[in-house]
Amino acid sequence: MTTKRIIACLDVKGANVVKGVNFLNLQFKGDPVSLASLYEEEGADEIVFLDITATIEARRALYSVIKDTASVLSIPLTVGGGIRTLDDVSMALSSGADKVSINTAAVENSQIVKKSAEEFGSQAVVVAIDAKKINGNWIVFTKSGTYNTGLDAIKWAKKVEELGAGEILLTSIDRDGTRLGYDLELIKKIVDSVNIPVIASGGAGKMEHFYDVFSLAKADAALAAGIFHDGIIKIKDLKSYLSQKGIEVRI
Amino acid sequence: MKALVINYGVGNLYSISSALKRVGFEVIIDNKPRKDYDLIVFPGVGAFSAVAEFISQYKDLFNDLRRSGTSFLGVCLGMQIMFEKGTEGKESNGLGWFKGIVDKINANVKLPHIGWDLVFEVKDSCGLTYGLDKKYVYYVHSYIAYPTSEDYVYMKSQYGIEYPALVCEKNVVGTQFHPEKSSSTGKIFLENLKGWIKR
Repeated sequence: MTTKRIIACLDVKGANVVKGVNFLNLQFKGDPVSLASLYEEEGADEIVFLDITATIEARRALYSVIKDTASVLSIPLTVGGGIRTLDDVSMALSSGADKVSINTAAVENSQIVKKSAEEFGSQAVVVAIDAKKINGNWIVFTKSGTYNTGLDAIKWAKKVEELGAGEILLTSIDRDGTRLGYDLELIKKIVDSVNIPVIASGGAGKMEHFYDVFSLAKADAALAAGIFHDGIIKIKDLKSYLSQKGIEVRI
Repeated sequence: MKALVINYGVGNLYSISSALKRVGFEVIIDNKPRKDYDLIVFPGVGAFSAVAEFISQYKDLFNDLRRSGTSFLGVCLGMQIMFEKGTEGKESNGLGWFKGIVDKINANVKLPHIGWDLVFEVKDSCGLTYGLDKKYVYYVHSYIAYPTSEDYVYMKSQYGIEYPALVCEKNVVGTQFHPEKSSSTGKIFLENLKGWIKR
């Protein structure tokens, strides 16, 4: 059976990797090319770049960073943040991204998901869903978690599968940055509702959280950022821990 | 050693080109076949019917190059179009260099199949499988080749069902996995490929 994937996420601003708390107090964490290759060496299965500013200038910087990274990296690279048009998708892919992650634009115009999948294949299209629990239901938020779309996350997940998304990158807004663990209930619900791979995101703080999200919530992949940048968890150690606990990972 | 990566007009050609450069190939990307290359690469991007349509324009030229001894590497979809027929999009013909058809993974599993799986050596006589047996390689696909002969199948993987991971005949090789995204294991394959071209 396919191994469970560990994905390192880099928040990229211009040509730098940064990390903040609740989008504030951004701190410089390093240069994306060297961090990405370091994570590959440590055993990361994929790298995700999230362009957190996505203005036109930052976008140009990002494309050159994608090119530089793709020329040293030999694991898959996903790029997200501000992808709004088919041209954006095409630019990211031809710069060396293997997949693009679409969030806000997918909600505003779901045809972008369908058209991208038709043109570039489902495998290149990840839909990112940021969900927050409100009165017992998970609701989809867009625009970096600031806009309540009113959409039910489970229904939306099914819809994006229908539209041709190849994967779902599911972030719990409630858990993001807290290091309290993934939102297992949310992730399990979405995993059970769709038949495409689900990447769990938001809340990873210790190795047990990864074990739980794979064994209890049945996620296909788990993504984390801060704990890797800050050296709290080394990917190599995480993978041997998971392997000892009976989770199949690539070592 | 010179490699020509064929550009069908969609997707990421950067990874495969960079991976080939890293093992010492001189790489050119172009949208048509050219002579005087040691290796012609069909990258793994796009959908079968669209790529088949693109390839069919140059079918005779590709066949001539193959007969004259130029080596070919097909990755993922690039391997699939070397088979007779594919059903992705609308049914369309491939190059027919390997006997068999390309169809959806016929098993009760999540599609697309995305991630790292083990490859198993079935036989080692083509010289391309050295150091790859029981290693993890990266897959991203919903379709696989259903070969009508096992003669050219050198490695297999399993995802719900067993399927060809590496096929080879004379100067043509195809991999269902992505060597350019398979980290150090992919690099081993590309090094093998260099030796295989020189043989």
